[in-house]
Amino acid sequence: MTGASAATTVAEIERLGYTHALVIPDSESRALVEELAESAAVDVISPCREGESVAIAAGLWTGGAKPLLIIQNTGLMEAGDALRGCGIGPKIPLRMLVGWRGYTGAQLGKLPIDSAYPYTEPLLAAWGIPWWPLMSDNDLGVIAEMDARAAETSAPAAVLCGHRFRA
Amino acid sequence: MIERMDLFRAVAAQRSDEIVVMTMTATLQWPLVSTHDLDFDFLAFGMGHASDFGMGLALARPERKTIVFKGDGGLLMSLGSLVTMGRYGPENLLVLLLENRTYEMTGGQPLAAGPDFTALARAAGVPGGGATGHGKVERMETLGDFETQLPRLLSEPGPHFIVLPVENHEPLPPVNHTDHASRVTRLRAALGLDGDVRRDV
Repeated sequence: MTGASAATTVAEIERLGYTHALVIPDSESRALVEELAESAAVDVISPCREGESVAIAAGLWTGGAKPLLIIQNTGLMEAGDALRGCGIGPKIPLRMLVGWRGYTGAQLGKLPIDSAYPYTEPLLAAWGIPWWPLMSDNDLGVIAEMDARAAETSAPAAVLCGHRFRA
Repeated sequence: MIERMDLFRAVAAQRSDEIVVMTMTATLQWPLVSTHDLDFDFLAFGMGHASDFGMGLALARPERKTIVFKGDGGLLMSLGSLVTMGRYGPENLLVLLLENRTYEMTGGQPLAAGPDFTALARAAGVPGGGATGHGKVERMETLGDFETQLPRLLSEPGPHFIVLPVENHEPLPPVNHTDHASRVTRLRAALGLDGDVRRDV
């Protein structure tokens, strides 16, 4: 199973006015990040861990930029304290594309199920972070929905990317 | 060893329109010497992330310096930040590492005695690094040395990572930070980004 087109997704990211992408490499977003690296509109920054990414993104937004976090669900789990402190608490509209590791395998019935898969939705629910699924090009509008919700609420919002972006 | 309040007074005396970011015990004492609109005292970054937030601010606001007071305990919680600074740190980022070898905010528990923070920053690629290759790492042992060097640190391109051994003999005011959202709103207003209502870009 493959997901949305990397090129089309980058075009949507550019259309929405993102200035920076904070990226930690993962399998789901590999093609997307390679495509983003060619973007003249979006500066790609690759910190060492997701908690750093969240804090840098919060600083960027506070300073007037519009960052996008591109991380995996495993990194989302690692970044919990930063997400709480730099997003949820101070009401900073952090936008996230989150690679949903384990989703594709679970849909195909592969065992054992990757433990990163089942905890992702409950974790976002516990934090009160709304999310939308991005599974194919047909779903690309969810990035704009997520973006608008973050702006309206001045709070974090996420898109879960179930399949790998395709080059 | 530098008395921390003397260090704060020295920075406050020479600071003009720089953003000043701080966390933990620095948030308790810096407000005693400064009430500038561009002060950002914030307890809730998430452990170890004050300089990451400061880097984001500096990237977004290249027209002015961002100064970050960061503790050595916080640095140990996010050592990768040094590598990120060495790779992407902008010229207008000045990180002042307050080295007191304790987790002061939680009662003074000792840090590991071994780490050489200057050497760690050097090994992480900060000297000659950063976004434009102007990164610098220095250690200053005395207040006099720091006061002499500060005009240079505020004017020359960085990013700078400055290690300052500090101690504190003055009482710490009580912690009273709860409304973190208003701090963000206030800083954005000072930067001309919003009024009472937040606007996205």
